[in-house]
Amino acid sequence: MATIDITNLRKEFGDGNERIVAVEDFDLTIQDGEFLVFVGPSGCGKTTTLRCIAGLEDVTEGTIEFDGEDVTDRRARDRDVAMVFQNYALYPHMTVRKNIGFPLRLSTKKSTDEIDDEVEAIASMLGIETLLDQKPRELSGGQQQRVALGRAIIRDPQLFLMDEPLSNLDAKLRSTMRTELQELQTELGVTTAYVTHDQTEAMAMGDRIAVMNDGELQQVGTASEVYRAPENEFVAGFIGSPSINLLTADVDGATLRGPGGFAYEMEDPSLVEGHDRIRVGVRPEDLELDPDGGMPSEVTVVEEMGNENFLYAVMGDIDITARIESVIHPEAGKTVTFGFDEEDLYLFDAETTEAVKTKTGETDVDYDQYVQPSH
Amino acid sequence: MVLAAIQSRIRSSAAYKQVSDGVRYTRQDVSRIVPEIPGLPYAYISPFFILFGVFLLFPTAYTLYLSFFDYVGVSNEVLLTVTMGPMEVSLPRIANLEFVGLSHYERLIFRDSLFHRSLLNTTFIFVVQVPLMVILGLATALVLDAKFIRAKGLFRTLIALPVATGLVAYSTIFLLLFNGEVGLINYVLESVGLTAIPWLGDGFWARITLVIAVTWRWLGYNMIILLAGLQTVPQQLYEAAEIDGASRWEKFRFVTLPQIRPVLLFVVVSSTIGTFQIFAEPYVITGGGPSNATITVVQYIYNQAFLQLNLGYASAVSVLLVVIVSIMSIIQIQYGGGDS
Amino acid sequence: MRSDTKKEGLWKFGAYIFLLTITVLVMIPLYWMIVAATIPQSEFFTWPPRLIPGTQWLANFEALQENVNFLRSMGNSVIIAVSYTALSLVLCSMAGFAFAKYEFRFKEPLFYFILATLVLPIQLLIIPLFLLMVQIGWTNSYLAVILPWAANPLGIFLMRQNMKAIPDSLLESARMDGATEFQLYYKIALPTMLPSLAALAIILFLNQWQAFLYPLVILQDPQMYTIPLALADLVGQQRVYFDQIMVATSLAVTPIFIVFLTMQQYFIKGILSGSVKQ
Repeated sequence: MATIDITNLRKEFGDGNERIVAVEDFDLTIQDGEFLVFVGPSGCGKTTTLRCIAGLEDVTEGTIEFDGEDVTDRRARDRDVAMVFQNYALYPHMTVRKNIGFPLRLSTKKSTDEIDDEVEAIASMLGIETLLDQKPRELSGGQQQRVALGRAIIRDPQLFLMDEPLSNLDAKLRSTMRTELQELQTELGVTTAYVTHDQTEAMAMGDRIAVMNDGELQQVGTASEVYRAPENEFVAGFIGSPSINLLTADVDGATLRGPGGFAYEMEDPSLVEGHDRIRVGVRPEDLELDPDGGMPSEVTVVEEMGNENFLYAVMGDIDITARIESVIHPEAGKTVTFGFDEEDLYLFDAETTEAVKTKTGETDVDYDQYVQPSH
Repeated sequence: MVLAAIQSRIRSSAAYKQVSDGVRYTRQDVSRIVPEIPGLPYAYISPFFILFGVFLLFPTAYTLYLSFFDYVGVSNEVLLTVTMGPMEVSLPRIANLEFVGLSHYERLIFRDSLFHRSLLNTTFIFVVQVPLMVILGLATALVLDAKFIRAKGLFRTLIALPVATGLVAYSTIFLLLFNGEVGLINYVLESVGLTAIPWLGDGFWARITLVIAVTWRWLGYNMIILLAGLQTVPQQLYEAAEIDGASRWEKFRFVTLPQIRPVLLFVVVSSTIGTFQIFAEPYVITGGGPSNATITVVQYIYNQAFLQLNLGYASAVSVLLVVIVSIMSIIQIQYGGGDS
Repeated sequence: MRSDTKKEGLWKFGAYIFLLTITVLVMIPLYWMIVAATIPQSEFFTWPPRLIPGTQWLANFEALQENVNFLRSMGNSVIIAVSYTALSLVLCSMAGFAFAKYEFRFKEPLFYFILATLVLPIQLLIIPLFLLMVQIGWTNSYLAVILPWAANPLGIFLMRQNMKAIPDSLLESARMDGATEFQLYYKIALPTMLPSLAALAIILFLNQWQAFLYPLVILQDPQMYTIPLALADLVGQQRVYFDQIMVATSLAVTPIFIVFLTMQQYFIKGILSGSVKQ
């Protein structure tokens, strides 16, 4: 178990004049025992960061410390870190037993019998004890995933690194494995850094989420922090599904005017003071049909989900998505009007994209009253 | 030529594309393993390159060099001495040589009738044998590729068996089969009422014997390659052609042939290069005879170099042969490569 | 419709006839080899010739051994072909691994340079190799035959192509599991490549087993003859013993036939990868 400190990390690829900056100005502390998820669009540098932590990439600048010990120049094999790869990276020529036992055979002086005992203990923990003598290609995706996990667990490392470990599984298995992974991590208590491009997965799994874009860390926080209080427009747009509706509005005193007849009167005009233009964001679930609202939109498609309906519309040249009650079915081609509460409104600076205002009013409920007293 | 084909293959491969597209951060599949020990890759490749340099590069260059000289004899002269501490290694000259300029080439091209003879013989074998074998190989592969054929594996194994027969070994079998007096072939001919053929005693028939032998040895090899090519043709193309009302011939002409053109071209080019390098067969079966009717170019090189010790002259023949074969391959690839 | 079915039937019939004819024609020489190896020389001159195998194989073999030491040639061939194959596999797989999986300076130019030499024919090398071997006194030695083509351009090409298919994550995973750099090569890369190694081994072995022109130049002492040289020598003798030649031939081809029949898939993989059409 370890606390990971990353200071001023910078990673460049290529040589000579064609240098590509993959990660820069990266500072982050991963707490002991924490499950931290790196999320971002493809090419944002999240995998590179993970590989730097693993020791698979040399860092260009900055330091990485495990429990205060500088490991920046230490080789992968000397960092006591285990990694689960996207394609599992199981050794095709070895049986499951050999695969799981491989790290121990290389790095410890344990006898074959001792290793075998440990392999079996771990296999039964993961429910793959019957597969021990099979080769990886004979296993299903989910089973391979478990073998890869077993190989990581057996070393009892300071740190688990996982690079999109669930992305090769089908949707149903993915959600099962998601829960299983979380339970396993809680049980073992090993610090874990997890990379995914899937923000839903990130929200569901991470103790904290590190959102990255263009090689830079945008925000680190819990799921509700990055959702309710994004620090900039990118985080607001990346987190949440369907994504937030965004538009540019001209500021005229307290009035915001945007494309397609968008108009909104700020209750608190001080928020937009000093801005000529501002970026306006409203999450789909915060839009409601309101004849007095300022968002006249032409309905294009209604998707029925059963418990709710997704309504897609256009306002001027802006696409609008709204989540509405399942009993409302507007017809395509009709114009409807949306409204929203000011406390749900997000505002971002049009130049810097920094958040000017995020959600207010929602606070966590004290749940102690729901908890059964334990004996 | 072949190299260009290989390079274009590599260029069109997915991995290469990813490298050349300069994929930015997602560098999956692109080799980026940085050695933990600097210089390790050079340690991995240097044993190969040492042998490669000494036994492949140097001799190639030296053959070219030698073709401008007459070989006089083994040399005792020391070329250079390298002192490494207590050890002293001296490299002797390879041979005593006498510069003759282009005269070997001049003699080869304009005056050496035996060389012309050997080139003509080799060309005869090439002209008759390559089309024969390619057509037979293609026909066999087509039949074996047909859905209704049973026991495909057995047929394929049996037809491919000569691939596993050594060159000299199979030549000895053909020497015996085509023997004028005791050979099986003439026995069969005579027992069905035909006259015996002087297979090895007549220049024309001796060349035909070589054609038959070479075809026997390489038919299965080419069939395997063509069959693999046929199996890559997408089934849907045949089905589409069928729906469009194509006849069996039209399906072959407009679907199969264009699809397997690269494979066919490979078979033709490699067979061409192969026939121009024939040596073991004439050496064993005909001995180049009767009266030099079957002497091949490589056999001529062998005779000049190692029977008469005209090493410089033989080198010139080697160089010329490589030039001729290269030109032929380029023509074939130009002609057969199509629009692409 | 009926005439179509009939035509189809005729077509199928014709196809089978063609296939059978080719198969029989291909098998005749091999069958004849067996017949000729098992009958005494005297029966070659009977009319009509024998078409059924006899029982004289052992007697013919003894005569052969007395005439030329053929077993010795087989031993030479085995030593040369096996060491050549092993050496070449090591050289090609190591260099192929570096080319496939590491980044280093001059990687691309070096590789394409090797590729370019794929087209160099053997006869271009023989004369200098002969002079070289004479000068360093290696004629009539195993090494002189083993070393020259061990650095095999085709071998390195095949190894690189196949090793490229090994995912980087497999090697990185091994590194994280504590493998040393050299273990990446022999504990991970090599074992996952066994089918390709087998295919390459077959090509290399076969090439060396039937090599003729170069050994003919280098090995002049009958004690050092490989099988092809011994066979050619038999054919060139004053008095030609067909029965002995055929016994020797059957000995030359049988081991390879066994390899071919038992490892046909690797054999075919080898032929196909040699044709560089993937």
